[in-house]
Amino acid sequence: MIRARTERRRIFSNAMFALCAACAGVIVALLLAVSGYLVWIGAGSINAAFFTQIPTGDLNDPGGMRHAIEGTIILLGLASVVGIPLGVSAGVYLSEYQHEWLFAGPLRFIADVLTGVPSIVVGILGYELVVVPVAKMTSNSVSFSGYAGAAALAFIMIPIVARTTEEMLRLVPKSYREGSLALGASKAQTVLRVVLPTAFGSISTGVVLALARVAGETAPLLFTALGSRLLTRNPSEPFPSLTLQIYTYATGPYPEQKKLAWAGILVLLAMLFLVNIAIRLVATRHASTRLGKA
Amino acid sequence: MSILQRAAWVSAVGVSIVVGGQVASAGEVRLGGAGATFPAPLYTKWVAEYEKVNPSVKIDYRSIGSGGGVKSITDKTVAFGASDAPLNKKEIDAMGGEDKVVQFPAVIGGVVPAYNLPGVKETIKFSGDVLADIFLGKISSWDDPRLQELNSGVNLPKLAITPAFRTDGSGTTHVFTSYLATQSPTFKGEVGAGNQVKWPLGQGGKGNEGVAAVIQQTAGSIGYIEQNYAVANKIAYGSVKNKAGQFILATPDTMSLAGDGAAATLKGTILRADIWDQPGEKTYPISAFTYIILYKDLSNIKTADEAKALVSFLKWATSSGQSLATQMDYAPLSDNVRKAVDAAIASLTHDGKPVQIK
Amino acid sequence: MTTDANAISSSSASNPSGGRRADSIFRRFNVGDALLGLICRTSAVVIALMLASLVLVLLSSAMPAIREFGLGFLVSREWRVNELERPLRDAAGQIVMQDGEVVTETIKPAFGALPVIYGTAVSSALALLFAVPLSLGAALFLVRVAPTLRIAGPLSFLIEFLAAIPSLAYGIWGLFVLAPFLQTTVGPAFQNTLQNVPGLRWMFFETVTISGKLVERPIPMTGRDMLCGSLVLAIMILPIVTSVSRDVLKAVPRTQIEGTLALGATWWQSCIAMLRYGRAGLFGAVMLGLARAAGETMAITMVIGNNNQINPSPFAPAQTMASLLANEFAEASEGLHRSSLLYVALVLLAMSLVFNIVARRLVIGTTSPAGH
Repeated sequence: MIRARTERRRIFSNAMFALCAACAGVIVALLLAVSGYLVWIGAGSINAAFFTQIPTGDLNDPGGMRHAIEGTIILLGLASVVGIPLGVSAGVYLSEYQHEWLFAGPLRFIADVLTGVPSIVVGILGYELVVVPVAKMTSNSVSFSGYAGAAALAFIMIPIVARTTEEMLRLVPKSYREGSLALGASKAQTVLRVVLPTAFGSISTGVVLALARVAGETAPLLFTALGSRLLTRNPSEPFPSLTLQIYTYATGPYPEQKKLAWAGILVLLAMLFLVNIAIRLVATRHASTRLGKA
Repeated sequence: MSILQRAAWVSAVGVSIVVGGQVASAGEVRLGGAGATFPAPLYTKWVAEYEKVNPSVKIDYRSIGSGGGVKSITDKTVAFGASDAPLNKKEIDAMGGEDKVVQFPAVIGGVVPAYNLPGVKETIKFSGDVLADIFLGKISSWDDPRLQELNSGVNLPKLAITPAFRTDGSGTTHVFTSYLATQSPTFKGEVGAGNQVKWPLGQGGKGNEGVAAVIQQTAGSIGYIEQNYAVANKIAYGSVKNKAGQFILATPDTMSLAGDGAAATLKGTILRADIWDQPGEKTYPISAFTYIILYKDLSNIKTADEAKALVSFLKWATSSGQSLATQMDYAPLSDNVRKAVDAAIASLTHDGKPVQIK
Repeated sequence: MTTDANAISSSSASNPSGGRRADSIFRRFNVGDALLGLICRTSAVVIALMLASLVLVLLSSAMPAIREFGLGFLVSREWRVNELERPLRDAAGQIVMQDGEVVTETIKPAFGALPVIYGTAVSSALALLFAVPLSLGAALFLVRVAPTLRIAGPLSFLIEFLAAIPSLAYGIWGLFVLAPFLQTTVGPAFQNTLQNVPGLRWMFFETVTISGKLVERPIPMTGRDMLCGSLVLAIMILPIVTSVSRDVLKAVPRTQIEGTLALGATWWQSCIAMLRYGRAGLFGAVMLGLARAAGETMAITMVIGNNNQINPSPFAPAQTMASLLANEFAEASEGLHRSSLLYVALVLLAMSLVFNIVARRLVIGTTSPAGH
């Protein structure tokens, strides 16, 4: 009787084991399906011109997306410079200062709510809070700008980075902190030398997720960065981005431009792939050097 | 390297990229416009061509939607706005009243009934009331007697009709529904006209590409899309019966005639005319102007030189630029319409002084 | 076990007495601590300001709609942007004539948010239903099995990379691959098997008004419907839920697993123990997924069919709050329309706030004083 029950449990357990493996398999299959499709539709249109030229306006020979690739890199760079430090330190606050419950508790809700704001709303906010005031203060003929776009992207990044950082810091065992404090380290030393480095790998995962999320955004840039067909590195002007250019081409009527849009998606994907690998390498090396020290 | 050092390094790189980029090219005029999506490919072509003639003038046009265009010019966040629908009273007031605004048509577009009828080679003929009843659900099969009557000699299949419509707000929907509302009182009362309406049935798609996807994927479907979209993507579309009783296929020429029909009504600095269902033997009935909107005094533009550059561009676009329109399957403005447009552009000033162009 | 979880998750907060007070005397004079505190608190304030500015901008722009519709907005089903002008009919249904002319009545535009509230709630719920079990299974596999097979690294990488695919790309894939597949294969398969099952007719038929008469007709299979929208959302949130869950499960102390196994638990039972141990963190992972699903704009707009209606069928097109904004905002020039759209955005914000609070209470209960 007992043996039968154990046997049943074992079979059930094995079945669940197989199911878990199947889950992982399904997710990987979906990845291959989506990215395989994107390669299939995009690869044919990637050539040297894609990386070296800017849009010509010509329907049969639409040029390339150099401006947009550079634009996206600069926009993401700007957004990261603001968004990552702010997000990480807010995450530290949520995790390490949570005894300040009067503020930390509500703040967690606030961060959660902010992660769910539709990106188009962030664009509207950027328009009202950055673009319109700039128009009133200056007499620039156009007040849409790369800065406004980067601000909108940072707005989306900050709560994501904050919440993932918090979750990862919470997973650092309490004993680490106690050990550090017991050895006479200050709280700042404990956080910077022990807690953050321990969670560095998983925080960088969170940062990649946040970066990836904003890298693919079109809606918040539409009313802030506006986009541009020109090669510009000055973020105080309307600023190009891959997603905006892709969106314009993908929704437009002309087949040659559409092909360029599909190629653009593939390039964006490849860029994120590289960032992903780079951060992962840094994180692994970081983890191994720490292990070496310990 | 500690995390802080690493972070400092990364931000240093970021800042240097940006600072390095600040080196703007001198002597260049940069101007921007934003708005309607429909004319965006043409405007992009215009600015690219204009740049070849005047390399120091870099103009950028971005399609963010007509509503966005009107809002942007009202807020003075762009040099010029573009909209498929003319400004209404409220919008003109928001810009400071009639004497502060210049609005003129830049080009003409048409909306076509595109369909997916496997096995039918002939161009299907439609009339306004038949189209209205198709989109109301009253005509639900391709072999309906009323369709057969219009298309004698065509072997129409017994296939259910699936209407396809735009789900997003658009000038295309505005033109199409406004036209149908003039053709069918029932349509006017039940669906009405607007850049977005509530359709009683059918399948929705976002944008021209969404409607085109419905049409291509569904046998028996009929949808309304912009003429140049249909041509560029080789989607079959029908001819429509005009006021004179002729069945006309949308082409740049037939759409251009629709604009010409309204030329006499274009007066002042705020030009507007509804050009669907215009008279004329060869006039295509579902056409509309798309507009450019500016402040009459271009004080939202920094320097007189920039204002001059913008005005020269606008003059060029509405004259020499019109031939590019035909190449891209937009309909050019007729000479009569251009006279009114020229007058409107001539009224533009910068800080109170007329903008001088050589 | 639960107390252990709390002890970890609430770190230094849970020992308010003794040693900590003594420490704080030293810490008071520590410049580094003061600086860190300042930086972290400033960032926290920035986040609070972000929400405040968002609420303020939305409130002020939505005010005309709030004044016009009040809370009735939340339960009204009608969304019609344009004005209608039609012949006035008397009680008997006859058109009213006056001086030989038809008298017309003007029907004002109407804006109600119920269909999009329904659309967002249902599509997000379905997405979670599809995604969470898959994610947890995959996370368990990654933590418990993959390391022994030496495939944890590449597998994690693949899954994180899935998270890095931009939403536009998912939208395009959904529109050109998934939707046609649902339209031509899955939909008809369901139709053939379930259509005649009593009580399931609502799945395949809808009632439409054609020239004033109610007509029942089959829902056209378009592939761009609630089902497709939810599936795309599910695929989009899979990676984020999986990778965060994996990190949470990874942090469960080995002793926990080994302890349960030593007590004779099967592999699966020890997994259950892990899930229970990490449930606060897993909840966080699911919330991240939900937030993404509810706020997702571009992809969902391409695949959900964009119809402001409440139709329980998964094969009927629907609309979410975010897709409504994406569809209509750019062309919304008219005052009340624009402000109604921003009212919708405000409702979404309020909904996610309320949902956050309620769900936290439900899942975490009162066991955690720190509010985690």
